[in-house]
Amino acid sequence: MAAETKVQRLPAEQMFQKEIDALIAAEKEPIPTGWKMSPKSVLTYITGGKVGKTVITPKYIGHKRLVEIAIATLVTDRALLLIGEPGTAKSWLSEHLTAAINGDSTKVIQGTAGTTEEQIRYSWNYAMLIAQGPSPEAMLKSPVYHAMESGSIARVEEISRCASEVQDALISILSEKRISVPELGLEVPAQKGFSVIATANTRDKGVNEMSAALKRRFNIVVLPAPADLESEMDIVKTRVTQLSENLDLNAKLPEEEVIEKVCTIFRELRLGATLDGKQKIKPTTGVLSTAEAISLLANSMALAGSFGNGKITDYDLAAGLQGAVVKDDDKDSIAWKEYLENILKKRGLKWSGLYQECKELNK
Amino acid sequence: MDKMVQIRKADQPYIFGIRHLSPAGAWHLRRLLDQVMPEIVLVEGPSDFTEELTFLGDLCTKPPVAIMAYTEETPIHTILYPFAEYSPEYQAVLWSQEHQRQCHFIDLPSSVFLAFQSAAKNSDDVGEEESITVYRRLGELSKDKSHETFWERVMEHSSEGEGYWRGAEAFGKNLRELTEGKDHDYPETLIREAYMRRKIQETIASGITPDKIVVVTGAYHVQGLKNDLPALSDQELKQLPSVDVQKTLMPYSYYRLSSRSGYGAGNKAPAYYDLLWEGCQRQEADFAARSYLSRIAAWQRKNGNIVSSAEVIEAVRLAFSLAELHGYQIPALRDLRDAAVTCMGHGNFAKIAQAVADTEIGTAIGSLPQGVSRTSIQNDFYRLLDELNLRRYCSVTADDLHLDLREKLTVKSQKSAFLDRERSFFLHRLRVLGISFVSWQQVQQEKATWAEHWVLRWTPEAEIQIVEAQLKGDTVLLAASFQMKEEAQNGGSIASIAKIIEESFLCGMPETISYATAILQKIAVEAAAVEEIAKTVQSLSLVIQYGSIRQLSSEALLPVLEQLFLRACLLLPGSCVCDDNASKEMIEGIGSLNEAVLHHEFLSEERWIAVLTEIAVRDDLNTKISGYAAAILLERGKYSNTELELQVERRLSKGVPADLGAGWFEGLSMKNRYALITRMSLWESLDQYLDTLDDEEFKRALLFLRRAFADFSAREKSDIAENLGELWQLNPQQVSETVNMPLTEEAQEMLEGLDDFDFGDI
Repeated sequence: MAAETKVQRLPAEQMFQKEIDALIAAEKEPIPTGWKMSPKSVLTYITGGKVGKTVITPKYIGHKRLVEIAIATLVTDRALLLIGEPGTAKSWLSEHLTAAINGDSTKVIQGTAGTTEEQIRYSWNYAMLIAQGPSPEAMLKSPVYHAMESGSIARVEEISRCASEVQDALISILSEKRISVPELGLEVPAQKGFSVIATANTRDKGVNEMSAALKRRFNIVVLPAPADLESEMDIVKTRVTQLSENLDLNAKLPEEEVIEKVCTIFRELRLGATLDGKQKIKPTTGVLSTAEAISLLANSMALAGSFGNGKITDYDLAAGLQGAVVKDDDKDSIAWKEYLENILKKRGLKWSGLYQECKELNK
Repeated sequence: MDKMVQIRKADQPYIFGIRHLSPAGAWHLRRLLDQVMPEIVLVEGPSDFTEELTFLGDLCTKPPVAIMAYTEETPIHTILYPFAEYSPEYQAVLWSQEHQRQCHFIDLPSSVFLAFQSAAKNSDDVGEEESITVYRRLGELSKDKSHETFWERVMEHSSEGEGYWRGAEAFGKNLRELTEGKDHDYPETLIREAYMRRKIQETIASGITPDKIVVVTGAYHVQGLKNDLPALSDQELKQLPSVDVQKTLMPYSYYRLSSRSGYGAGNKAPAYYDLLWEGCQRQEADFAARSYLSRIAAWQRKNGNIVSSAEVIEAVRLAFSLAELHGYQIPALRDLRDAAVTCMGHGNFAKIAQAVADTEIGTAIGSLPQGVSRTSIQNDFYRLLDELNLRRYCSVTADDLHLDLREKLTVKSQKSAFLDRERSFFLHRLRVLGISFVSWQQVQQEKATWAEHWVLRWTPEAEIQIVEAQLKGDTVLLAASFQMKEEAQNGGSIASIAKIIEESFLCGMPETISYATAILQKIAVEAAAVEEIAKTVQSLSLVIQYGSIRQLSSEALLPVLEQLFLRACLLLPGSCVCDDNASKEMIEGIGSLNEAVLHHEFLSEERWIAVLTEIAVRDDLNTKISGYAAAILLERGKYSNTELELQVERRLSKGVPADLGAGWFEGLSMKNRYALITRMSLWESLDQYLDTLDDEEFKRALLFLRRAFADFSAREKSDIAENLGELWQLNPQQVSETVNMPLTEEAQEMLEGLDDFDFGDI
C-alpha cells in the first residue's frame, strides 16, 4: 500500500480490486467472450449490492435502467455512446464499465481539438521507421488498436471535442471491425469482445457536431442530471466537504439550508419547473450543473472566510447566484428576474432574505 | 389431451382464471373451449346484460366496444366494461356464437352494482386500497420495478395454457390471502362471488354436467367460486339493493382504453397488445417484438425521419439482450421501448414519442350495429332539455332563443331566477362539443355580456354527434370538460389557451378554468411576443371583470395574469425596437396592458409606470411608441409639464431627423388630445421646431405631421388653430378657417409631389 499512496488517483480496477475479485469468484452465470464476468455481475458492480460477504459499493446512483441498457448494448457488441450535460458522470460510468468488463479501464483516447487520426488508429516511431523502414516494431498502436487485438473495450473520452474528420475515423473501425495497415500489408481483424465506449458533451461550447453516419454506429444513452433534490444535495455536500479540506477555506461548512437553497434554485432553473412541478419556469441558457453548484458554494465559503465572519450569508449567496445564472445573455437576465418575482418572492420567510439580496443586484 | 383440460377437479366446472384484456388469456381460453366443447360458457359480467350478448357477438360489431349501465336518476353513476378484440370475455362470447353454444353473464346485475356504487360514493375515500398496495409491492419486488411488466413477462409471454392457468390461479390465491377483508369493496366481492356460485349451481341444476361448463372469471375470483361456501339464497337475493338502470352497448376507443389505468379497467398499450394477440394466433412468440420496432421505424419514415434498417435490427438485438439480462427470452414492452429510444431515437425519447404513442395506443375506434346505442350522455341530454324547458326547441325548424343572464328579481324560486344562465351554460357546452343542434349568434353589447342570442335546430346528425360525445364523457358536462382539457393540452399558443379559459367561463366550468389556467402558466414562460401576451392579458382581464355575471370565481386567474403582466413588462422595452408597421400592433398591446392595470389593483402600477417612463425617454426605440408611452403617462398624471417640455424640446430639435420627431409627436397625440391642446408650451415648441427646419427637412416633417393631425376632428383643429392664432397673434377665426379649409388644387399638387419624395435613408 505504501507505494500506492503516492499516486494521486488509481484506476478504477485497482481501486475496487476486491469487489471485482469477489464478483468473479462468485460468478455463476455464462460469461460473454472477452469479458471477465457476466452482464448481471457488471450491473451489480455498477449499481451496488452484495456478493457473499463482500459489499459492493454503488458506483452510479439512480437511473439503474440506463446502466442496464448500457450493459445490454455492449453484450450485443455494439459501440456505446454516453451523452449528457457536464457533470453527469459519463466518464465515471465508462471507466467503471470497462473496469468490470475487462478489468482494464486504461485504454483511453482523450478527445481534444488537437487529436489526430493517427491517435485513433496507429502512428510510427519515426526514428525507427527511418532507420529500418516500416516494421511491426516501429508501429505505435493506439488504444483502439490494442483493444481490437485483445478483444476488449476502448474508451474515447469527449469524442465531440475532436474535429469531425477525426471522429469519422471511427466509422470504418466500428462497421468493418478491422483496421488495415497498408504500410505492412496487414489487415488486423478485431477479436470477439472488442467494442468502444465514447462520451460526449451536449451543452458545452467548443464541441463539434457528430456526423449522422457515426451516430448510427452507436447505441446512444443519455445520462440525466441527478434524479432528485436529496441525491443532488448529497453529492454537493460530499464534494464541498472534500474541497474545503483541500483548499483550507477558513469558513464553516455551509448549512443544510444553504445547500438546499442553491440546489433548489439550480434544479428549478435547469428543469424549467418548480420542484413540486406545479409551476413552469423559463430555463436559462447556462448549464447550471451540479459541479457549478459545488463551485458556487466553495466560492461563497471563500468570500465568507476571507471577507466575512466565516458564515455564508444571503449576501454572499446572491452574488454567487447572479454570476452563475446570468452569464452573458440578456435573456438570462429576464428569466432570472422572472424567477425572482414569480417564485422566490412567494416562497415565504425562509427565502425572503435571499430574495431581497438578489433583487438588490437586479435593480 | 392438453394438460390444461386435466386441471379441473371432478364435480366442478372448468374455472379459467384470466386477466382482463389479456391476449394470452384469450388465446388459451379459446384452445380450452375447443377441447372441452362446453354446452355453456359462463362469463364474469353483469347478468342482466345476457340479452345484449347477441349484439356483442354480432358480425357488425367491431371492438373495442363497451357494455355500459347507468342510473336513471342524477347524479349519474355508470359502470363500464370495455372489451377489446383480445379480451378473453369477448372471445368467449364470440366462440359461443360461432359454435351455437349458450353464453351467460353471471355476475351481479348492473342494477345492484350501481346501487352499491351510489351508496359508496357517500362515504369518504380511505387512502390506498390494500390490493393496490400489493400491486405496488409486487412491482417493487420485480426486477423491472413495475407490476405491468412483470405481468407481461410472466403471463402474456407464456406459451403453455397450463402455465397460464396455474399462474393466474396462484396469483389470484395469493392476492386474496394478502388482502382478505382489507379492501373497502371486500363485502361486495363476497356477495358477488356468492351470486356467481348461485348462477353456476343453477346451471348445473338445469341438467348440464359440470364437465360441459366453462367459467371465465378474473383470477382473483377463482378461489371464491371454487370454495364450498354456500351460494346466495333466495332471501338474501331479495335483500340486495337495486336502482333503476339503463343498459347499452357503446363504441369504445383504444385511446380511452389506454387512459384508464389499473387492473381490469384499462390497458396502457392496447395497440401493442393487439400485436401480442396477433402473435398468439400466428404462434410466433416474438411477433409483437419485431412488429413493434418495425412499426416505429415505419412511422418515423412516413413522417420524414430517417431510420435505417440497421438501426431497427440493432434495436431488436438490444431488446432481446435487455430481456436476457432479466432472465427472459422474449422482450417486454419496456425493453422494446428502451431499445427504440436508444437505437432509433438516439437516446432521446422525445424524438420517437409520437411514433411510440401511435404504435402502443393507436387510434382504433369500435363500431356497433345501428340503433343499438342508447348511451348515458343521450339520456343526460334529454333530461336537461326537460329540466331547462328547452324540449319545444327540438324541432327541425330553426328557432330563435334570446337569453338574459341577469338574475330575475321578479320570480321567487332560485331555479327560475337563474334559468337563462343555466340554459346558457348548457348551450355553450353543446357548442363546445360541436353538436349542430345549437348555433350561437354574436350580440353586440358594449362592455356587458348578459344578453345572448341562440338559434336551435334539431337534426339526425345532432343525435349521432351526441352518441359520439359519449366517448368523451358520461354526461354533457363531463364530455365538454374532457373536450376542453384535451384542447388545452394540444393548444400551442397562450392566446389559444386564453380562448379556452373564456370558453370555460361561458360554459360555467370552474374546474376546467383552473386546469387551463395551470397550462397557461406553463406555456406563458415561453411566450416571447409582447403583442400576444398583451392580447392574452386583455382577454383574461375581461373574463375577470365580467365573470361575475355568470357567478364564477376568477380567483385562479389572478396569479397567471400577474405573471403574464410581469413578463410583458420585462420584454416590452426591448420589443419596441421595430418598424412603423409593427409599431401599430405594439401600441395596441401597450393600450390593452394599460387598460388591465387600470382595472386591476393587484397589477403593480409602480412597475408599469417605470416601464412606460423607460420607453418614453429612450432614444433607440421606435419614436412613435415612445410618444405613445409619454401620452399614457400624461393621461395618468405621471408626467409633469417640465418633463413634457424637456421631451418636446429634445425630440423636436434640429438635428433629429424630421420623420423621427414627427413620429414621436404622432404617438404623443394618439391619446388625450384635450390635455395636449390646452398646453400652450407644446405648441410653442412645435412652432419653434418647424422654424428651425430648412426646406427639405420641412417637407419631410410635413408628411408625418400631416398624418399625425389627419384624424383630429374639426373641433380639435379649431382649438389648435386658436392656440396658433394666439401664438402668432392672429385672429383665431381666420386661422381656424384656413386650417379647416379644403385643400386648393395647387396645394394638392404639391402634396402629391411629396408622395414621390425621396426618403433616402428612411
